[in-house]
Amino acid sequence: MVSVRYLFDQLLREEWRMHARLFGGWRFAAFPVFLAALAAGTATFFALAGSETETLLAGLHVVVALVGLQVGSIGLVGRDALGDLLGDVTLLVFSARTLPVSERRLLAVFVVKDVLYYALLFIAPLVVGVAPLVVLTDLSVAVLPRLLASAWLAFAFGVGTSLLLVGLATRSRLLAALVGVAALAGGSLRPGLVVAFTPFGLYADPSYFRLAVSVTVPLLAAVVGFSLFEFDRTGTTRTAGNQFRRLTGLFGARDEQGLLAKSLLDVARSSGSLWKVLLSQGLIFGVVAILLGYIPDILVGVRPSPGLTLGSVLALGAFTTYNWLCQYDDAAFFGTYPIDLARVFEAKLWAFLLLAVPAGGFYLALGTVVFGPTSLLVGATVYVPVAVYVFGVTAYVAGLRPTELLFDTPVFMLFSGAVMAVLLPLVVLAIAYPLAPTRISVAAVGLSLVAGLLGVVGYRRAGPKWTRRARAGDL
Amino acid sequence: MHPDPIPPTMTDRAIETEGLTKQYGEVTALDSLDIDVPTGELYGFLGPNGAGKSTTINILTGQLTPDSGTAEVAGVDPVAEPVRARERVGILPENGKPPSFLTVREYFDFVAEARGLDSVDDRVDRWADRLAFESKLDTLCTDLSQGERQKTLITQAFLHEPEVVFIDEPLTNLDPIIQERAKQFFTTYAEAGNTVFLSTHFIATAQEMCTRVGIVNRGKLLEELDPRDLGEETLLDRFFATVDTDTAAVDPADSAALAGEE
Repeated sequence: MVSVRYLFDQLLREEWRMHARLFGGWRFAAFPVFLAALAAGTATFFALAGSETETLLAGLHVVVALVGLQVGSIGLVGRDALGDLLGDVTLLVFSARTLPVSERRLLAVFVVKDVLYYALLFIAPLVVGVAPLVVLTDLSVAVLPRLLASAWLAFAFGVGTSLLLVGLATRSRLLAALVGVAALAGGSLRPGLVVAFTPFGLYADPSYFRLAVSVTVPLLAAVVGFSLFEFDRTGTTRTAGNQFRRLTGLFGARDEQGLLAKSLLDVARSSGSLWKVLLSQGLIFGVVAILLGYIPDILVGVRPSPGLTLGSVLALGAFTTYNWLCQYDDAAFFGTYPIDLARVFEAKLWAFLLLAVPAGGFYLALGTVVFGPTSLLVGATVYVPVAVYVFGVTAYVAGLRPTELLFDTPVFMLFSGAVMAVLLPLVVLAIAYPLAPTRISVAAVGLSLVAGLLGVVGYRRAGPKWTRRARAGDL
Repeated sequence: MHPDPIPPTMTDRAIETEGLTKQYGEVTALDSLDIDVPTGELYGFLGPNGAGKSTTINILTGQLTPDSGTAEVAGVDPVAEPVRARERVGILPENGKPPSFLTVREYFDFVAEARGLDSVDDRVDRWADRLAFESKLDTLCTDLSQGERQKTLITQAFLHEPEVVFIDEPLTNLDPIIQERAKQFFTTYAEAGNTVFLSTHFIATAQEMCTRVGIVNRGKLLEELDPRDLGEETLLDRFFATVDTDTAAVDPADSAALAGEE
């Protein structure tokens, strides 16, 4: 019987080789360094803007918990999704069919490996990145080890929660959704629960009880999630009516080569269907709403404009929509048909707008109910052009493989630099909004329109750029 | 927008290359390759792994640019006009994968849209009957077996009835009955005046089907022959005599597989 330790070593080695092969060793290895630099820059910016240190560190815990939620679901990704994403690869995690190793055991070791990987390569650099606060604020060096521990545990909390929800979902999707909504509602209505039962409490108000809770809750959630998880051994064959023909009929000349219909069906029929677009934007809305609602004076004693903040951050979050639109495509597939990649990016833009605009619009409308209509109109006006900007930047720098953004340092640097160039001024304008609402609204809308135009330029250049690279054998 | 339909080629040359060269860093994939395939031929392109077969197909179908040399396929220069070249040809890539979340029927509709064809329902029905996948037409491609995926990919390559078709290991994962039907179809298709460019490791299949065979290694065309002229000698013997098996890293012990014991 193969030992857990051996499995763990092999999976770890496989993970490194896969990324090193995909992006080149140094490009992958440099990623944590860049992440630390990015975190340091962000922490410095907010510290100089007069933010409360505790608020910034609370934000850090929220971010790493969200990364944990994401990682927990990646651990359960299907073979097809990986195959579509990475090409013809076979990972050890899928070897239960041919080797005498149980699926549950393999998956458990795989997730533990992922947690360790992300804890070291993502979470630790983020914590290192807040080091400037020691110089710029009253943060003590002695607190940093505790911060690292609570950040790791917050990450584990996110992973555990994700595993619990996924495990529950294999039994009952409704139950999983209810548990998720209840947890979110509980945290929103009673913030005290967040301090008491999440690792943030260990940082904010350390005690042996909170340490025990911070370690036990993620572990318990993960164990329960794993024991509930039901592996699909049915080999179900899914069938469907001809929706493609209906969609191409509907879009007419706008979709002459069927690329728009194909993109929409990819998102609609893959795991999570169209709901995943709404849910991912909902997560962003929830976090921003909590920050705006419960910490109203986080920056220089002024409450940022809810509309402008929501519009800008939701537009940035639309990146995930682009990711889903491209998850099942690669340039090689289109290269076997008389299809110009420029047409592919054009179809992706239309599909992106068809999905991201209603999703963003829904949450901006919800924001009107929660925060009032005053600044939401500006937010709605800013949302579409900034989302187009995010689309254009992503299409240009990452083409049809946006997932590379996560690990390829130069690509990620380019992407974050380009996004920050627009997002940071918008955040500053959101903070300054109460000082001169009309003038700042005009400035924000003007900036977003310029960004939108740049996005159009980016996506138009994406076609020729990626065609050139594909034909040079450089993909 | 679809360009105007191109009239069929009046030339008697379906595929022509001159001095085609392609380097991947230090590795020479193609070394001044010259090929000349007349219209109506079922041309077998044989060679060990890494010989340059896929690179050749990718250049001829406009998916790759060569470092130097010229190419013409069905009267179109695939280097200068890659999209136009792909309108004229059909491509069955090795290890290809139909789009996961379209059904088989939707995938063929997608191919029809991409190629600017009107209705392909009748052709799809004929192919579904020929390769026996009628019951899978409404199944999502991600849920197909390997063999069903291969049948789907073969169909899409021929759906627009192209005058030149590039097929890379077309018989992989097919059962013997379907293999025979496919082979019969390829032969008939070429006899009808079209050109089939077959890249394969199965030498017995090439000997059985092809009207001419090119043996390639290390990016160079080493020999061209008509398998029907071989007499007592087999194509497998000729293959080993032509290819330097040491440098090609082919193990003669694997000759059974090479001989086509699929």
